[in-house]
Amino acid sequence: MKRWFAGAAAAAMLAGGTASAEAVTLQLKWVTQAQFAGYYVAQEQGFYEEEGLEVTIKPGGPDVAPPQVMAGGGADVVVDWMPSALAAREKGLPLVNIAQPFKRSGMMLTCRNDSGVTATESFPGHTLGVWFGGNEYPFLSWMSKLGFATDGGPEGVTVLKQGFNVDPLLQRQAACISTMTYNEYWQVIDAGLTPEELTVFKYEDQGVATLEDGLYVLEAKLADPAFVETMAKFVRASMKGWKWAEEHPDDAAMIVLDNDETGAQTEAHQKRMMGEIAKLTAGSDGTLDPADYERTVETLLTAGSDPVITKQPEGAWTHAVTDLAFPD
Amino acid sequence: MALAEVVAVWIGGWLLNARLARVGGPAGRWLPPVVFGLTLLLLWELVVRGFAVSPVLLPAPSAVLVAILKEWRTLGRDVEQTVLRGALSGYVIGCGAAFLVGIAVDRMPFLRAGLLPIGNFASALPIVGMAPIMVMWFGFDWQSKAAVVVLMVFFPMLVNTVLGLAAAEPMQRDLMRTYAASDAQTLAKLQLPAAAPFLFNGLKICTTLALIGAIVAEFFGSPTVGMGFRISTEVGRLALDMVWAEIAVAAVVGSAFYGTVALIERAVTFWHPSQRV
Repeated sequence: MKRWFAGAAAAAMLAGGTASAEAVTLQLKWVTQAQFAGYYVAQEQGFYEEEGLEVTIKPGGPDVAPPQVMAGGGADVVVDWMPSALAAREKGLPLVNIAQPFKRSGMMLTCRNDSGVTATESFPGHTLGVWFGGNEYPFLSWMSKLGFATDGGPEGVTVLKQGFNVDPLLQRQAACISTMTYNEYWQVIDAGLTPEELTVFKYEDQGVATLEDGLYVLEAKLADPAFVETMAKFVRASMKGWKWAEEHPDDAAMIVLDNDETGAQTEAHQKRMMGEIAKLTAGSDGTLDPADYERTVETLLTAGSDPVITKQPEGAWTHAVTDLAFPD
Repeated sequence: MALAEVVAVWIGGWLLNARLARVGGPAGRWLPPVVFGLTLLLLWELVVRGFAVSPVLLPAPSAVLVAILKEWRTLGRDVEQTVLRGALSGYVIGCGAAFLVGIAVDRMPFLRAGLLPIGNFASALPIVGMAPIMVMWFGFDWQSKAAVVVLMVFFPMLVNTVLGLAAAEPMQRDLMRTYAASDAQTLAKLQLPAAAPFLFNGLKICTTLALIGAIVAEFFGSPTVGMGFRISTEVGRLALDMVWAEIAVAAVVGSAFYGTVALIERAVTFWHPSQRV
């Protein structure tokens, strides 16, 4: 263990030694889309350059887990959701939240009215679609708060692992599915269902929201003041990008489209997504609100019989970077 | 230091095996593979510990063993869902259907010209494309996994059946005719026995295909149980020890499945030259 720390410190020193170039690699949580507009705007509008940074943005996807990329040394900073980052921390990969551009959660459960689910009381006996792989904990916590079992019994709800599309709802295989305000919900609408035919339960309203897109780095690297300074510049420029994106949503969406190498995104979808994303980032200057962190941890610790984290995490966030970036 | 340990264990295992191989007898035959396997595991353990590899990247075999012992109930439920329900029913349906179609193809040259290309086409369909569609058609539970397995095993089994049924030589067929044997008699007494090595070949290939199909199909929507479900979820939680535990169980179950079919083959085709020891 000691040797590992020495190695990490040496690596950090090496990184510090080449600080004049100040190259930063950012690993995104998902494919290039307006969910990450702030970083692309900061890149295209030259905000990173103004800070003397040379930023490489790596898009993610269904087969990319940002903490694993971090463990493999493929990125300096990653965008991840807090449940996943805390799980990685407990598994021995000490990630630390240095900034939280997303103030609110965009996750919700979208139900068809004709399935008979229009209130939380009518969940029992129905099938609900949930994303797994670290995104299931807010749901499990919510169900345990409501007192519904999730093992498929008649008194509880049946959970199914949904893929990355909204078919289960369209095919009536599930009464409700997980959606993001900025993405899957609109796929449901595009598929022909109207908002009047749907009931949505926002995790934010249900009190079980967990922190979504935040910026995470390895704990060992934060021991190096030069790295903290680089990150402060990075966070400052990124937040400038986010605020620009909030004010110019359509232009920001076009910047995202220009950076989408797969050509899979459409203009209408990205503009709509940017509009929804702006609602989630509004009111955050990048500094993590400890109260939001506490609520996330509490939600995760109460997530039923098989919790993602078993003990109160320590040192999982720091204001060191944002204090340096925004000194007032 | 860590490197020295690794090299020492490697050389130690090598020397031990070299000595055991010289002993001969049953011990000389069975012990070296065991020693080799244990040496590999020990090397893995030492590398992970000695170089402090993050458990998120590669857990030590001891951690995997602990996960197996601690979570054996979960692993058992996953095996039941994925292997017994998904893979096995798909295997039986797919191989059974291919066998029947194979017989029909053998009888009618018209079908041989028409059905084989279709079977070939079906086997070329990528599983990652078919799995979501099967989920849409047959629902989230094991039925859609069985459907994917049927698609995967059908063609290899069909080709082997058709080849096997053609294996009986013209002279042997003529002999059956001189006995005034009926079609059914020729099939049962000549063609099927002659086809047995081919049939078992197909059945053995399909055991592993069935397992792969059932596991991968679960990545695209599933109930909250199953080996593929567990692997994809635990990767997301970075519980790599559990992922490796599932992989180890899948390897053991897959080998057992293959071994069972191979044993049946040995009992049924004892007369074939390939079975002589």
